Amino acid sequence: MDDEIQSLEAELKRLRPAGPSRDLLARLGRDLAPAARSPAPRWWLWAGALPIAAAIAVAFTLAARREPAVPPPPRVAAMPPAVFQPVAAENVLYAAQDDGPVTLADGTSARRERLSYVDTITWKNPRTNASVRWSVPREEVRVVPVSFQ
Amino acid sequence: MTLFKQTPTNSESMEDAHQHESWQKWFQLYGPKLLLCARQWTRSLADAEDVVQDAFVRFWRHQRQLPGEPMALLVTSVRRAAIDRARRDSRRSAREEFAEGGLERAGPVFETPLDGDERREAIEAALRRLPDEQREVLVLKIWGELTFEQIATQLELSPNTVASRYRYALAALRGELTAADCHG
Repeated sequence: MDDEIQSLEAELKRLRPAGPSRDLLARLGRDLAPAARSPAPRWWLWAGALPIAAAIAVAFTLAARREPAVPPPPRVAAMPPAVFQPVAAENVLYAAQDDGPVTLADGTSARRERLSYVDTITWKNPRTNASVRWSVPREEVRVVPVSFQ
Repeated sequence: MTLFKQTPTNSESMEDAHQHESWQKWFQLYGPKLLLCARQWTRSLADAEDVVQDAFVRFWRHQRQLPGEPMALLVTSVRRAAIDRARRDSRRSAREEFAEGGLERAGPVFETPLDGDERREAIEAALRRLPDEQREVLVLKIWGELTFEQIATQLELSPNTVASRYRYALAALRGELTAADCHG
């Protein structure tokens, strides 16, 4: 870099950029006025607010403990009546077993059968159309008196 | 009170900046330089002032305690604010908006001295005629007081490219001013 360039560089560095307008300074003053304060007041705010919040929380907790223990209402009572209504019930026989003749305690004869079902009950909420289907296995034992003639 | 009367030296502005307590002192140090940098990336002086306001408020509230040179942080903040503004305000792409930045003729670029006003005007005119990418580097180096490496980081260029643009800018300025002297 020759002397002329260096001289120009030095001349440029001596130029001072024009300052911002008074309007910008005023806007900065407004923006930074709250932040210009030291951060200590913010900590004092928190330092004051936290104990107050803690005191309120403790007060609510103590008040809740002093209240007489009320048994929770039964779930049935809490639920809106007839929210779900049974709309279908079916049972399917899927197995039958004949145990053959048996003698009962009074000496009479009988025949015992074992029937296996699946019972399915469906409830439906008419307001929401939600449905619940409940299926449960069930075994039925039948004792049928017989007479040998 | 006249602001910006005393331009601090580089070492003073960078090393002592952390010791200043009020934003007014900080802004006295950096405000004019930031405004000049912002004018490279905005379409008007008013836009540049808005960008400087956003950037300086952000810096003062959130970045003041960060390590590093304040001017580099501030220039980064100014550039980001300019990009945000370009994206927000324009229907065109941010790139197109950015390319339109420059020293538009509203208001002087530099303080007006009591003597040598013609020379200042000639320099300002020569600066305006520089290609945007050269003027951007020149402004960041001379008045932004950034190193080539810092400028390269800002502009996402290689330091060699930045140094080349800087040399081309100075050479072009010298040519412009020499021609003006000859014709003047």
